[in-house]
Amino acid sequence: MNIQTLSQNIKQIKSQLQQENSSNQNLKTKYLGKKGLFNQLASQIKDLSPAEKPEAGKMLNQLKTEIEQYLSQSKQNADLKQKKIDLTMPASKTKAGHTHPITQAMAEITDIFKRIGFTRVRYPEVDWDWYAFESLNMPQDHPARDEWETFFVDADQHPKKGKMVLIPHTSNGQVREMERLGEPPIRMINIARCDRRQQDATHTQVFHQFEGLVVDKGINIQHLKGTIDHFAKEFYGPNAKSRIRPFHFKFTEPSFEVDFSCHICGGTGFVKDENGQKKECKFCKSGWHEVGGAGMVHPNVLKAGGIDPEKYTGFAFGWGVERTYTLREGLNIDDIRLLYSADLNFLEQF
Amino acid sequence: MNILIPHKWLLDHLETDATPEQIQKYLSLSGPSVERIYDREGDRVYDIEVTTNRVDSMSVRGIAREAAVILKRAGIKAALKPAKLPSIKPTTKTFKPTAETIKPTAKNLPLPKIVNSPDLCNRILAVVLHGVEASPTPDWMTTRLKQVEQNIHNSMVDITNYITHDLGHPCHAFDYDKIMAKGGKIIVKEAKAGKKFVTLDEEKYQTLGGEIVFENQAGEIIDLPAVKGTKNTSVSNSTKNILLWIENLDAKKVRFASMSHAIRTVAAQLNEKNVDPHLGKSAMLKGIELYQQLTGAKMASELYDEFPHKVKLEPVTITHNKIYNYLGVELKAEEIKTILTDLGCKVEVKEGDGTKYDGTQYVVQPPTFRQDLQIPADIVEEIARIYGYHNLPSTLMTGPIPIHKPTDADFTSEDEMKNFLANIGWQEIYTYSAVSQEVALQSVHDIEKHLKLLNPLTEDHVYLRRSLIPSLSQAIKANPQRKNLSVFELTSTYQPQAGKLPSQDLKLGLVSSNNYRDFRRDVEALLSQFYIEEVIVGEEQKPESDFYQQQAPLLVKAEDEQMVELGAIYLLQNGLLGAQLDYQTLLKLARKYPHYQARTKTSTIIEDLTFTLKPNSKIGRVISSMAKAHELIKRVELKDSYQQNYTFTLCYQHPQKNLSTEDVQPVRKKVVATVKNNHDGELVGELK
Repeated sequence: MNIQTLSQNIKQIKSQLQQENSSNQNLKTKYLGKKGLFNQLASQIKDLSPAEKPEAGKMLNQLKTEIEQYLSQSKQNADLKQKKIDLTMPASKTKAGHTHPITQAMAEITDIFKRIGFTRVRYPEVDWDWYAFESLNMPQDHPARDEWETFFVDADQHPKKGKMVLIPHTSNGQVREMERLGEPPIRMINIARCDRRQQDATHTQVFHQFEGLVVDKGINIQHLKGTIDHFAKEFYGPNAKSRIRPFHFKFTEPSFEVDFSCHICGGTGFVKDENGQKKECKFCKSGWHEVGGAGMVHPNVLKAGGIDPEKYTGFAFGWGVERTYTLREGLNIDDIRLLYSADLNFLEQF
Repeated sequence: MNILIPHKWLLDHLETDATPEQIQKYLSLSGPSVERIYDREGDRVYDIEVTTNRVDSMSVRGIAREAAVILKRAGIKAALKPAKLPSIKPTTKTFKPTAETIKPTAKNLPLPKIVNSPDLCNRILAVVLHGVEASPTPDWMTTRLKQVEQNIHNSMVDITNYITHDLGHPCHAFDYDKIMAKGGKIIVKEAKAGKKFVTLDEEKYQTLGGEIVFENQAGEIIDLPAVKGTKNTSVSNSTKNILLWIENLDAKKVRFASMSHAIRTVAAQLNEKNVDPHLGKSAMLKGIELYQQLTGAKMASELYDEFPHKVKLEPVTITHNKIYNYLGVELKAEEIKTILTDLGCKVEVKEGDGTKYDGTQYVVQPPTFRQDLQIPADIVEEIARIYGYHNLPSTLMTGPIPIHKPTDADFTSEDEMKNFLANIGWQEIYTYSAVSQEVALQSVHDIEKHLKLLNPLTEDHVYLRRSLIPSLSQAIKANPQRKNLSVFELTSTYQPQAGKLPSQDLKLGLVSSNNYRDFRRDVEALLSQFYIEEVIVGEEQKPESDFYQQQAPLLVKAEDEQMVELGAIYLLQNGLLGAQLDYQTLLKLARKYPHYQARTKTSTIIEDLTFTLKPNSKIGRVISSMAKAHELIKRVELKDSYQQNYTFTLCYQHPQKNLSTEDVQPVRKKVVATVKNNHDGELVGELK
């Protein structure tokens, strides 16, 4: 054995290695095992002269490194080719949380009205009786107030603005918006938390309303209808219909009840039962859902907001966010209280 | 208020070909809303919502009157039938009864002496009926009363309910002999406080003062008129003679009595809404007729009619232009006049300049039963609804779009904030703004510092909360099966202010059962979304209440380099972590986009250093010291810790040149010395 034979042997081992089938599991034993080709060669180093030994050592080290690299590379290649994925494995859980359904509804509502020039505002949720009632043409003890089951706050009365209340509707924003802007044009969308003394499966003490107010020269009933139609089609889909019917509120004149068509019965008021027989739709009132009130702003309300009712007209509407949202197809939530519970099993669905 | 109207009963008053479905459709579109039609006792029964201003529609005849106008407009044959009432000539206070005004009777029974207070009572009608029997109510009437969900008693009682439903004016039957036994005198007056009375259902009450009552000469209350009868004068099975009675009182006083004693009878709900006193006579005549037919009663007195306050409604003048302004379409003057005339108004058309409708005015005299028609807008409503809202086009506004936005809100940022938190694993919840005393005390240990509701509905919602943290903590505790749950809410808290509305600034509340570093990571990540990068937890403070173990302010650097307090961070007694941020402050600090900084072209050197620190060391403070130790230190982060050993990753960079290993050496020495001197920490390994 001399350095030349060693060099030749090394070349031979390398070329042998190149020709191996990479899938062969025994390569490591064959080349690097105790009695493998490398060790057989390395054991011959003792036959070399002391002068040749350091050079031979380097050559052997390099050989070993190359074998190792080659084996590791070919193993990786083999792994990549061989390791199949079970495509039926279930997904791991996402970490994402959820915004609240009311938040989602409010964002959508805001967006729908923004597109037709409405500005969203926010006004106090604890407010004076003046803004919640009196300025809205609803004097103290008026029977019309019965429908607003109002919470009063144990605090000193304002000398002019009266008692402190939790707003029972978003209409307190009407005169406040007139005060903020001073003069028309006004196109306001006011969304807020409201409170009323009521509690059952369809009512919670807290709920949300959105209030629209438009005041300008020449605003008429047709514009109210146009705005409601725009909302119905954007929120419920292109087939949704809306209508206004006579109603009564002290702060609007004329006043309307706003209905959207029922998606369950297609606005007909009738569905088919399991036997194919026609039966009354239990979800709506004869094909329609009442969503809330609307009307032309009462001259006294304009006056209370410092606007001349001879020069300007306007319309307003105020609807429940929860009501409007749960009328959507597939969102028939049987107990509205779930929205204000911290029930994750419920909230995570949204 | 809803009223039930059977179809056949309606046809007593309405001549029409309309089907029940047509009546439902057209009434709903132009008048009171027919919410449903029931099949009940062999008839279709309409369930109709009548608004509080339309007490004139709270009867079968009232609905028939509306339907006649509305159906006609829809092209369906319909007319209101004339009222069929017996002709009995009433007496007035000054009118002496003559033989012909009184029907044949077994004997003459004198009316009790009636002492009215005209300020309180618009009209009184009364008659004595002799020989009534508490006979069973005939089938036709029980059927109708059942259809409208009235209880059946006997004919003596049921007749009054029937008349009220039929015509819309409540009436009352006294036991005539009881009235006479009490002295035969009825005095209309305002009650003094503290007088006792017992209603016919044997409930005991005491007056507050200000209710209108009927008293006898001795000052005993013998009726709570327009609301409910009293036991001492009401009819019973043994009643032989009745005093059929109708009063029309001051509506506000009726409401006061009914609301303050919580006696919400049908009569009270009608009488508090200004029932037309002119309706009283029809109701009375109908009553006499029914008592005669069904109970064998005979008229035993003249018909008393005292009517000091006849309804005098002011005519309403409206211009043609105003009608056009509201409708956006122009109706012909004749059409406007027809609609209003059909509704019972008298209309005088005052022509303008004659060229077109410009300047034309309508002087509208409403009928006595339409006291709700007071201003031009009321007249517009009548014209518009009968013309048909559904016949008006639907268009969007033209005209300028308002551009003055409120400066104290940014709803887009709010949504971004919420969506970001949700996307990194936080659940948004909505909780009540009014909380129980227990929860209120968790936020501040002084109940007087909270606003309280005067009329809470339930004990768990009484105080307006000053902090969101306790509510959010409850929410986490309500989901014990969830590990590492994080919830948030963005809403108002309420801090009382003397003589003013409470401050109700929005707060972002965050509570989590996660570990502190992950919790803080999320808070900082949120702020980083708004380009608020430097977040420091300040010196610990005394907690606001026992609910918290630890509390410290959360400080961030504003553009002017000042540290601003953004809120506070808490460790709760129950082990949860919380933070509450002030939304207005956040809004002021938040940016929509970063300050762009030119990229530094020089390379950075990054290395880890491990120190052994004392058990009470504040890691945040150690990092601040290290970061400030030398200007070439760009960043210091905690990488890992094991027992008291903490490994920090340090990043060195020079703005102009690439650093060499030699350049870093003095910096590293400075860092090690700083940690040693300020925090008594020892470097692990050798200082190179």
